[in-house]
Amino acid sequence: MLKFAAKRFAYSLIVVFIASFILFWAVRATFDPLAKVRLSHDPGAIARETKRLGLDQSIVQQYFTWLGRFLTGDWGVSSATNEPVFSVIGRALGTTAQLLLWGLLLAVLVAAAVGVYSAIRQYSIGDVALTGLSYLGLAMPPFWFGLVLIAVVSLAPQQLFGWQEPPFLFVGLHSPDSSGIGLDYFRHLVLPVLTFTAQLIGNWSRYLRSSMLGTLRSDYVRTARAKGVPRRQVILRHAVRNSLGPFITVVALDAGLLFGGLVVTEQVFAVDGMGRLFFSSIQAGDAFVLVPWMVVVALAVILFNLLADFSYAWLDPRVRLR
Amino acid sequence: MSISTGSPRSVVRRLACLSVAVLLSGLAGCAGGATAGYREPPPKQVRSGGSLVIGSEQEPGCADWIGSCSGSVFGTYVMQVQTMPAVFQYRPVNGGWRPVATDLMAAEPSTTVVGGKQRIVYRFNPKAVWSDGVPIGSADLKYTALQVRDGEDILDKTGCSLIESVSTPDAKTAVVTLKRPYVDWKALFSGFGNVLPEHLLAGQDRDKAMRDGYSWSGGPWKIAAWKRGSSVTLVPNDRYWGKRPKLDKVTFEFTANTSSQFLAFRSGQLDAIYPSPQLEAINEVEEGMPNARLALEARTTNVEALWLNNAAFPFDSLAVRKAFGHAVDRKALVTRLYGKLGVRTPVQTFWPGNNAEFGGDSFAGYRRDLPEVDRLMRADGWARNDRGIWAKHGREARFTLVSLSGDTRRLLEQQIIQSQVRQAGFEMTIDNKTPSELFSNTAPKGAFQAGLWTLIATNPTDTFQSDRIPSKANGEAGLNFMRVRDARVDERLGKVDSTLDPARRKEYSKQADAALADGAVSLPLDDVPSILLTNRKIGGPVSINPVEGPFWNLNEWGLIEG
Repeated sequence: MLKFAAKRFAYSLIVVFIASFILFWAVRATFDPLAKVRLSHDPGAIARETKRLGLDQSIVQQYFTWLGRFLTGDWGVSSATNEPVFSVIGRALGTTAQLLLWGLLLAVLVAAAVGVYSAIRQYSIGDVALTGLSYLGLAMPPFWFGLVLIAVVSLAPQQLFGWQEPPFLFVGLHSPDSSGIGLDYFRHLVLPVLTFTAQLIGNWSRYLRSSMLGTLRSDYVRTARAKGVPRRQVILRHAVRNSLGPFITVVALDAGLLFGGLVVTEQVFAVDGMGRLFFSSIQAGDAFVLVPWMVVVALAVILFNLLADFSYAWLDPRVRLR
Repeated sequence: MSISTGSPRSVVRRLACLSVAVLLSGLAGCAGGATAGYREPPPKQVRSGGSLVIGSEQEPGCADWIGSCSGSVFGTYVMQVQTMPAVFQYRPVNGGWRPVATDLMAAEPSTTVVGGKQRIVYRFNPKAVWSDGVPIGSADLKYTALQVRDGEDILDKTGCSLIESVSTPDAKTAVVTLKRPYVDWKALFSGFGNVLPEHLLAGQDRDKAMRDGYSWSGGPWKIAAWKRGSSVTLVPNDRYWGKRPKLDKVTFEFTANTSSQFLAFRSGQLDAIYPSPQLEAINEVEEGMPNARLALEARTTNVEALWLNNAAFPFDSLAVRKAFGHAVDRKALVTRLYGKLGVRTPVQTFWPGNNAEFGGDSFAGYRRDLPEVDRLMRADGWARNDRGIWAKHGREARFTLVSLSGDTRRLLEQQIIQSQVRQAGFEMTIDNKTPSELFSNTAPKGAFQAGLWTLIATNPTDTFQSDRIPSKANGEAGLNFMRVRDARVDERLGKVDSTLDPARRKEYSKQADAALADGAVSLPLDDVPSILLTNRKIGGPVSINPVEGPFWNLNEWGLIEG
C-alpha cells in the first residue's frame, strides 16, 4: 500500500508542476498584470510596476520566480485589494470548505440512501418517484434553483405566516451580530447547501443505483443468496461494499472540482468563498489572485483524486496489488 | 424570528394556502404590488438608537482612499464619506448639487491667481477633531497633499500633481500654491483623498495602516469592523463636532447578486438597498415593492454614451459619425429603459445631469432621421449594396459595439441599437468583455469601433482633449479612448480647463459642447438614474447625492418613532 501511495504521490507532483506552469502562462497571456496601473493617472507607474513585478523577464523566468515564492508562502499581493493573496485565498477556502463539508455530507448520505433503495426496489413506485426527482435535481441550474428556493422555502412561508424574518436566511453565512456555529449559522447554511447539492444528489444517486444493480446481478451475489445468506447481509456486506468503489471515486472527483465550482451558489447567497473570489478576480482582472487560485483548485482536484485512489485501493485489495 | 400561533387546524389550512399560493404565484411567489406612499419621502422625525442593515453591491478593494486599490465607488459611499473629513461636500443648492465648504473649515477657502499661479488658503474650524481628540489642522492637509503628489501607487493625482508648495503658517491655516490655475480646485481634499491624520500616519506605511479599515475617524461614523467578503459595521464617532448619528449602528452587507439582494430586501434581512440599474432592478422597482420607499435621482454626474472610435473605420469619417447620430433613436431607447422610472429624454450634452448648466443641448439635433442618414452617406460617397448595407470602395459600414459582459440592461440596449442601425443601413455586431479587459486593454488601446459604457464623475476635458489619448507621454493614462483629435475641441476645452470664473467657464464649456456635437465625436445617451430603496421603518432626509452617493447623510437617518 505504501509503495502504491508513494507512486501515486510522485505522479501527482509532476502533474501539479506541469499544471501550475500552464495556468501561470495562460493567466499571464490573457490577463494584464498592469491593468489597474493603466487606469491610474501616474505617468511613471507602468515602467515602475513592470520592473518591480519582473514583467520584463521571460515567462519561464517569471514562472520560476513565482513558484519559488509560492512554495515559501509568499503568494504576492492582490492588485484589487492590496491584501496578501495567501490570506485572501485562505479566507475564501475556509468558507467554501464549510459549504462543502455540510453539502458533501448531506449529498453522500441522501444519494447513498436513494441509490441503494432504488436499486433494491427497482421499478417500484418509490424507485420511479426518486428517479424522477433525481432527474429534476440534475436539470436544475443553480442560479435558478437558488432563487426558487429563496422564494418558495424562505419568503413564501414568511409572508404567509406573517413572520418577521424568513425561516432560512440567504445573505452570507452569518447575520451581522452573529458568529460561530449556532442556529443563525445553520439558518444561513440551508439554502446554499440545498442549492448545490440538488444536482450532486441527482447525479450520485443515479450512479450508485446503476452500480448497485450491476453488483446485485453478479454471480457471487446470486451464489451468496443461493447459499442462504440473509438478504440484508448480502446487500450490506457484498452489494453495497462492492458498489462503493466507483461511487467514492465519483464523489471524490466532484468534491475536488467543487472547491472552485460554487461560483453561482456563492454569488447568489453572498458567500465569500472560492467561487465568488474567482468571479470578482476575473471582473477585476486580478492576475495575482487568479494564478494561485487556479493552482489551489488544481491541488484540491489532485488531492481528491489521490484520496479516491487510496479509498478505492482500501476497498478493493486487487487495486493496490497492481 | 417571531412565529404567529394557531390551532393545528389553522396551521393545516395555512399550509394548504401556502401550497396553493406557491402553485399560483409560481416563481414570483414573493412578488408584491406597489403600495401607497411608495414614491413619497419618508417621515423626517426619527428617534435615537437602533440599527440598520444595508445591502452594498460591491465591496471596496481597500480603505486607503488615495491608494490605487480604492477605486470602488461603494467604498466611498459606505466608508469614506462616513469617516473622512472633507473640505468641500456636494449639497443641494438652488435645485442642483454644488460643492459647499464643510464645517471642517472655519470659513470657505479663498483663492487668488497671482503670476499665473493659484493660491488657496484653508482655515480649519477649531472644533474639528479626530476621534482621538487631536485637532484636525494644517499639518493633516499638508501631509495629505504631499502623499498624493509624491506617493507611488496613487489612484489619481489629478489636481495634486499641480501643487507647487504647501505652507502652514499656523496649526489651523494651510496655504496651497498650484503651478497653474486649476478649475476643479474645490475637489482637492474633498471626496477623493479628503484629509488624512498626520499624527497617526506620518512615518508609517499609509496603505498598510488604512488598507483593511482604520479605527480613527474624522467623520460622523467610525469603522467598528470590516469582515472582508461579508460586511462593514459603522458606529457613531462620539467626538464628531457636526450632526451626530441618530442610529447606534449601521452594517453594510456585501450582496453582489441583484436578484437575491431584492429578495433579501423583501424579506427584511436588508433595510435598504442601492441596486445598480440593471434590467431586473428596474423591473422590480417599476412593479413597486411592499413595505418600501423609493428614492430616485435622475440628475447624476454619470453619462452613458455610444463612444465612437474616431480613428477606426467606419467612424473615422465625420459623415458616418453624423449619420450614425441620425440612425439611432435615442429617445425610444431611453424610454424603453427608464420610461417607467420617469426618465424619457436622452441627454444632449457631455455635461449631463448635475453639471447640465455647463452643457446645454448641443446634441439635440441628432434625432432619428433616416432620410438625413441617406443624404449624409451618399454625399460622402457611400451607396447601399444588395444587402441594404452602406458600402464604399468595397468596404461595408460594419462595426462592433463593445460593452460589459453580464449586463442585461446594456445587452438590451445593444440589441435595440442593432435593430435601429440595421434599418439605417449599418451592420452591427455585439462583443462584450469584462470591466478589466474593456477598461484596461480594449478601450485604452483603441481596439474597438464603438462602445457602450458609463463614465462616472468625469468631464469632457478628460475624455476628448487630444493630449488625453493614451500614449507614452501621459503614461498611457489618458481617457480619450475615442482618439478625438480636433483642434477646435482642444482649444475650447483648454479654455474650460483654465478658466476659474464660473460664468466665463460656462460660456466656454457650452462652446466646447457645441464643437463636440458638430464633430459628432460620440453620442450621449442617458444620465443613468440612481435608485435607493428603503423599508418603512427608516426615516430622515433620505435622498441620493449624485456625487457622494445614497448614504451621504446617513448620520441623519433613523428609525421612525413609535
